Order: sequence, then structure tokens, then C-alpha cells
Amino acid sequence: MPDIISVSDLVEVYADGTKAVDGISFKVNEGEFFGFLGPNGAGKSTTIKILTTLLRKTSGSVSVAGLDLDKEAKEIRKIIGVQSQETSVDPELTGRENIILLGHLQQMKGKELEERVDKLLEVVGLKDAADKRAGRYSGGMKKRLDLASTLVHKPKVLFLDEPTTGLDPQSRATVWDYLEELNKKDGITIFLTTQYLEEADRLCQRLCIIDAGKIVAEGSPVGLKKDIGADAITITVQDKKSAGDKVATKAAAKELLSKIPAVIKTVDTEEGLTIYVKNGGLFVPELVRAFDKTDIELVSINISTPSLDDVFLKHTGKRIRTEELVKEVTTGRFGSRRR
Amino acid sequence: MTLLFDTQFLFVRALKKLVRNPILIFFSLFQPIIFLVLFTQLFSKFSQVPGLFPSGITYLEFATPGILMQNAFSSALQSGTSIVEDLNSGFLQKMLVTQVSRPAILIGRLATDAFRVTVQSAIILGLAYLLGFNMATGIAGILLTLFIIAFFGFAWSGISLTLGLRTKSAETVFGIGAFLTFPLLFISTALVPGSAMPTWMQDVSSVNPISFATTAVRDLALPNAFSLSAEVTSLAVIALIALVTMSVTVYLFRKVVS
Repeated sequence: MPDIISVSDLVEVYADGTKAVDGISFKVNEGEFFGFLGPNGAGKSTTIKILTTLLRKTSGSVSVAGLDLDKEAKEIRKIIGVQSQETSVDPELTGRENIILLGHLQQMKGKELEERVDKLLEVVGLKDAADKRAGRYSGGMKKRLDLASTLVHKPKVLFLDEPTTGLDPQSRATVWDYLEELNKKDGITIFLTTQYLEEADRLCQRLCIIDAGKIVAEGSPVGLKKDIGADAITITVQDKKSAGDKVATKAAAKELLSKIPAVIKTVDTEEGLTIYVKNGGLFVPELVRAFDKTDIELVSINISTPSLDDVFLKHTGKRIRTEELVKEVTTGRFGSRRR
Repeated sequence: MTLLFDTQFLFVRALKKLVRNPILIFFSLFQPIIFLVLFTQLFSKFSQVPGLFPSGITYLEFATPGILMQNAFSSALQSGTSIVEDLNSGFLQKMLVTQVSRPAILIGRLATDAFRVTVQSAIILGLAYLLGFNMATGIAGILLTLFIIAFFGFAWSGISLTLGLRTKSAETVFGIGAFLTFPLLFISTALVPGSAMPTWMQDVSSVNPISFATTAVRDLALPNAFSLSAEVTSLAVIALIALVTMSVTVYLFRKVVS
């Protein structure tokens, strides 16, 4: 059985008429680390809710491990583990009691359950805090407890909806390491949505990008980046004479760029413009010359080989985390001044 | 079998939460205890007005069954807040992606609420005894009283639960509970006999569920009030109310967790 999840023509229309998922089809192979990426409101969580039997689909067909979602939802629940966006642990139960409860609900009992709980507590590093109430845990500990409790019944497929959102970098790294190990050592298929594109790039064997309810790109991170076939140059601009109207300046710059044959595509970002060209290094002089003749000043130029972020931007027209990009641009400027 | 086990697991979970947060029990006991201690003092002379109250009994004896029912009713109407908590924290969804038996989530919750109301009632009853209350039908009457209360609570917590599932707001559940409790309490025979009310109040009171439940317990409590046929009638009416509320609950619960 090569594909463990198979989705075809999945549609979800909400009661108010919103088409949250608009006819998507994709497959996930057994043992794969699969990334499901998209901007906020693209339909990621809705899709996960359908795949995990929480939400009834409008139409289309879904099977998980060969089980039909419509007829065998209960069987599917036996073999999946789900961690949702919000950390959900019972604050009044201890860490151990939290995992045991989930184990009970998955029909585990006795010594088997006890041993499993002990092992999980150790693996997620909560052995010492096991008998403290979960309400007293830190955010990172709660997240790890949540993860441990979704793993209690040794699921074949693990659905993770933004598993590291709201975690500090150190806890985030711990969670990623553990997920990687689960996938590599235990062969658990992982279906992941995340905003951390670098992690998705490193961990996922295959990705789907969803935007406005439709799948806009699919493939391996390497393949998707290659498909861009171009380097990304991010520029910020301003009017030479006055601070001026930023939007107009940007529009003028875009207009100018569209006349340069080497430019494959120009995309608006919050900070400036991202230009895709075949060979970034060679293009920079031409870019500078082009702007020299105008009233538009190039404030900063930043060349990068395509990242997953660029893949994302190309297909959705949106950056996933603007605050990180702002940081990158600022450091870029600072660095060039020192040079 | 799964249903039974799952219900037990969820019952135990809710019980642990309750024991670890006992302040909740005391908060909901505050109001009935105020009623029990202050109202019965405030109105102690009223029960001596000839013709209004059954003769030869104290106001405490008359009002205790009503206060018990008021507590059962208002506590039950707050039980929806717990499911809202699970819904908003994502814990309900976490349970729903397991194999857990769906009805167990509902029954486990209702059983816990019925248990909580029974414990509260036992405390109120104990306090009433200290103040001079007596159950004419003795220990059997006490047990039947607690059973009626648990059953009555069971019926109404279902309504609150589905309200919680629909509105996803603990404040709404709490608000509606408080909004319903007082009018229904004061237009019932919980604190005064029907004969002491204006006609329109008597009319409303005669179809008020709190009146039926109060009568069922009052007939057990007051001397020489018990008659088997009246008791069976009261119980049947309560059962009918429970049947209606439970049908609504199950229907709405199914819609939400399907």
C-alpha cells in the first residue's frame, strides 16, 4: 500500500456558503513526512479536520490507510493521532493522568498502558514532572505532553496542525527533533502544517501548497525550489526627492521592472518588491542602471537563491511570516553598510 | 461495554477535577445556604398565618424541599460551562479524534453533574437538620429525595450542556441559568404555597417543573403528607420533563459531535 492518505476532489462548503476547500486532490505515501502549507485561512485546518473525522466533508472522497472516511471513521480514529493548533491538556489532571486518560479512550489498559505512558513521559522529557498538574507546566511542557498523549496508542499517521506555534526556539527544536525521530525510527507517517518554512524544507519529503482552498503547488522541497528556476532579488525603494507616496513609488518601480526582459516575475511584498531572474548576480548591475535613470532610489538589494519562502510567495503571492523577513532586510542593510 | 468504560473514565476525570477545585462546590452552595439560614428566619412567622401554610409546621420545614430543588435547578443549569471549557481548550476535539464512545462524553458529564448536585443537596439537607428540619418519612424519604434531586438535575444539566455546545460561551450559559432560575423559583411553590399567590402566579406555578419536583419532596418531608398515588404522579411528571429535556439534549449533541 504505497499511499496511506488519498484525497480526491475534496470540497468543503460552510453553512454560510464559504468554500473553504475547493476540490483538492493529493496523496501521502506511507512513512512520509508530508508538509501541507498555506497562508492563514487557505483551508489547511479545515482539511485536517476533515481527514481526522472532526468535520463532515461536503463532497469528494478520502481514505486513510485504505479505510473509507465515510464508512469507517471509527476504524480511522484507531490509527491516527492528532495534535491541534491549540495545546489541549487538562490542567487539573497530572501529566501522567492526561496520557492515561487518552490511552483509556483508545481502549488501552493495564500493564501495556502503564509501560507506554512511562516510556512516553521519558521520551518527551516529562518524567520528573509527571505527577504535577499540567496546569502548572510551562508552554513548552504542555505542548510536549499534548504530543505524548496523542501518541499513546502508537498511531500510524500523525496529524500535526502547527505543532510548534507559540513555543520558544529551544522547545521548538526539541519537538522537531522528536518528530524527525518518530518518522525515521518508527516509520510514522506525518502530516504537518507549519509556518516554519525552514523546518518544512528540512524535514518534509514532499509538500503541498494550498491557497484559497486550492492546491497551487506540489512536490519535494528541492523540486519546488528548482521549479522557480530563478533567483529572488528583494528590493526596497523610495523616491529620491521626497519621502513621497510609497505605494506610487512602488508601482512606478514595478512598471519599470516589467519592461526589463530578464525579469521573469515581480511580486509585491509588504516591504518592497521581489524580482525573479535567471541569474541574480549578473542582473544586479542592470537593475541598478535601470533605476539610475529614474527618480526612484534603490534603498536595499538582497539576493537569495530560492527558498521555500520564495516558492510560497510565487504560488500564493504572500509571505508566510513577515516579521522574519523584516528582520532579514534590516540585517542585510546593516551588513552592507559595514562592508 | 465501551460505552460503560468510557463513561466511567470520563466520570472519574470530571470527579478528579471537581475534587481538585472544591471551591466550585462551595460557590454554588453559597446561595442555597443563604436561603436556608436567612429566608427561613425572615419568613418564620409567615407559616403561622392561618389558612396559607399547612398548619403546625415551621417555615423551615416547608421551604427546605424548595431550597433543595432551587439548588438542583440552578446547579444543573450551570453544568454547560464545563463542556464549553473543553470545547474552547480543544480537549473535546482531542477526545473526539479517539475511539471514545460519543454518548459516553454526554453521559459521563451528566453523571458527574448529577453526582455533584446530590453531594450539595446532602450538605444542605444536613444543615437543615441542624436547624431543626425533619424528614417525616425517615431515611427512606431522604434517599428518595436525593434520588429525585439527582434525576431532576440530570434532566436540566442536559439542557445547559447543549446550550454550551451551541453558544460556545460560558458566560451565556451562566447568564441564561441565572436568568431562568429566579423567575422560575419565585413563581413556584418552592418558597410559598400556591394558595398564598395571586391567581396568575398560581397558574404559572402549577405547570412549573420546580413546583412538581418540590411537591414530590415536600410530600416526603412534611408529617402526614405522604400518599403513594400523589408521589407516583409527581415522579411521573418529573420523568416526563426529563424525557423531553433529554431528547432535546441528545438531538443537539448529535448534531454538534457528528
